[in-house]
Amino acid sequence: MTESHEPIRGAGAARGTAAAIEFDRVGFAFEGSGRPVLEDISLRVEPGERLGILGPNGAGKTTLVRIALGLLAPTSGGVRVFGRSPSQARAEGWVGYVPQRTGAELAFPLSVRQVVEMPTLVGLRPWARPGPEAREAVEYALGVTGCGEFGDRPIGRVSGGQLQRAMIARALASRPRLLLLDEPTVGIDAVGQRQFSKMLEEIREGLGVTVVVVTHDLRTIAAGCDRVACLHRNLHSHGSPEGLTPGVLAEVFRHDVEGVFGAVHVDAHRAEECHDPSHTHHAEGDGHAHD
Amino acid sequence: MRTIEYLFGPPELAALFWPAVAVGLLVSALCAVLSPLVVLRRMSFIGQGVSHAAFAGVGLAMVLGLGAGSAAGGDWGVLVVVALACVASAVGIAALSDRKGLNADTAIGIVLVTAMALGFVMIQHASEAMRARDEAPGFGVESVLFGSVLGVRWGDVVAAGAVVAVEMSLLWWFRRGLLFWAFDEVGAVSVGVRTGLVRTLLLVMLALAIVVTMRLAGVVLATALLVLPGATALRCSARLWPVFGISAVAGVLGVGLGLVVSFELDWQPGPAIVLTQVAGYVVVRVVGAVFRSG
Repeated sequence: MTESHEPIRGAGAARGTAAAIEFDRVGFAFEGSGRPVLEDISLRVEPGERLGILGPNGAGKTTLVRIALGLLAPTSGGVRVFGRSPSQARAEGWVGYVPQRTGAELAFPLSVRQVVEMPTLVGLRPWARPGPEAREAVEYALGVTGCGEFGDRPIGRVSGGQLQRAMIARALASRPRLLLLDEPTVGIDAVGQRQFSKMLEEIREGLGVTVVVVTHDLRTIAAGCDRVACLHRNLHSHGSPEGLTPGVLAEVFRHDVEGVFGAVHVDAHRAEECHDPSHTHHAEGDGHAHD
Repeated sequence: MRTIEYLFGPPELAALFWPAVAVGLLVSALCAVLSPLVVLRRMSFIGQGVSHAAFAGVGLAMVLGLGAGSAAGGDWGVLVVVALACVASAVGIAALSDRKGLNADTAIGIVLVTAMALGFVMIQHASEAMRARDEAPGFGVESVLFGSVLGVRWGDVVAAGAVVAVEMSLLWWFRRGLLFWAFDEVGAVSVGVRTGLVRTLLLVMLALAIVVTMRLAGVVLATALLVLPGATALRCSARLWPVFGISAVAGVLGVGLGLVVSFELDWQPGPAIVLTQVAGYVVVRVVGAVFRSG
C-alpha cells in the first residue's frame, strides 16, 4: 500500500505552492462540551487532488467540512484555503460546497436550471445579467452532471440522485477551485455510485478542480479518490484507497461494528499499516477491542 | 348596490370610502409579492408575532396621547409608534430565535402574548383616562383587531404608497440574494450571500407591510394577506415568476372582492377580505383536486 504518513501533506508542500486546503493542528470542541470533536488535525490537500476522508457517523466529518468553509472557527490551530482564510476563499467563490442533506426548500418553484444558475447571480449588480463565461459554466455544470436532461423540471420533482447531481452542478457553476462534498452518495444505489465516480473523474479532468469527499461510504472513496484519510477525531492518512485493509477499516468503524456485534477483537492499525505520528487515539484507554 | 353608491355616489361619501380601497389595493399587491417567500420560508407565524406587536404599539400610542381625535399629525405619530413596535418585535424574534435553547416557535409565542397583554392593558388604561377627561378614545379595540373601512384616511394612503414603493424597490434590488437565501440558507452562505442581512431585511419589510395593512384589515387578520395569496399561487404553479404573478393577482382580487363584500354585507373589512381570500384558496384546491382526478 502507498502511504503518506507525515502530518498528511503532499508533494506541493515541498515545492512551496499554496495548498488547496491546509489544516494545521486543528482542534474543535463545541462550547460546553468537554470532549473534542476534532483533535490535532494536520492535512494538506494539493491543487487538483481528489481526497477522500472516510469516517463513521459522529467522527467529526461534517465539522471538518464546516471549518474548511469558515462556517465554524477551530478551537485551536489554523486553516488556509488557497493561502487565504476559509471565509475569504468562500467570498472569492473559490469553494463549491454540497452539503450532506440539502437544507433547500424543495417546494420552491424553481427549475433545476434556475437552481444551478443561482451562484452565478450572486454579487452581480441588480440590473446586470451573467456574462458569457458564467453562462458557459452553467452549461458545463448541467452537462457534466447530466442535469441538462431534466433542467426544466421543478427542483421538487426530481429523484434523490438527480437532486444530488443538481446540487453538485450548482456548486460547479460558480467555477470553484475546490469542491467539498459531504456524504455525496447517501441513498444512491450501486449504479448511481459508479455514475458518481465517473462524474468526479470528468469534473477533475474538465476543470482541474480539487475535490474533497467526506463520507462513511467505502465505495465512494474506493471508486473516486486518489488519496484517502481516515477520520475519527484524529486524522490518519492511508495513501491510496487500496491502503484501506480490513484491519484499518475495522478500526475506523470499530464503534459501528461493536454497536451491531458487541465487543470485537480487531488486529488493526499495526505499525506497518499506519505510521502516522498523530495516530494516537486508540491508546487513550477508551475501551478499544484490540487493547 | 352599496359599492357603487359608496364609491361613485355623492363625493362626500366617496371621500370616506376611496382611501380604504386605495390602501387595500396598494397593500394587497405588496403583501402578495412577499407572500410566496413567507409561505416557503414558513414565516406565517412570525407574521402573527409581528402583527400582534402592532397591538402593543397602538396601546403605547394611546398612552402617549397620540391618535386621539382626527389630527393628521396624531395619525402619523401612531403609525411611527406602531411601526417601531413591529420592527422591534421582528428583530427581537430574529435575535431570540438565533440563540441556542430557544426556537423560533417559542420566541414568537412569547412575543405574541406579551404584545397582546401589554396592548390590552395600555388601551384599557388610556381609554379610562380619556373617559375621565370626557374625551373620545382615538381607537376602538375592535377596529384595531379587525380593521375599519372608515378608519382609513388619505394619510394612510400616502404611508402605504411610500412603504409599497420602497419595499418593491428593495425586493427588486435584493431579489437574487433573497431568493437564494429563501431556497437554501446553507447554500447561500457558502457562496457569500449575506444571509443575515437579507433575513433581517425581509423581517423588517414584513413588519412595515403589516403596519400599513393593519388599519384596514386589523392586527389579527393582517397576516392573512401575507399567507393566503402565496399559498394559493403555490397550488397553481411550480414556476418562479408565475407564482409571484398569480400571488399578486390573487392578493389584489381577494382584497378588492373582500372590500365589495364588506360594503355590501356591512362586515368589517378584515374578516371580509380574509374570507374572500380563503374562498379563493379553497376554490383553487378543489379545482386542482378535480383536475388531477380527471
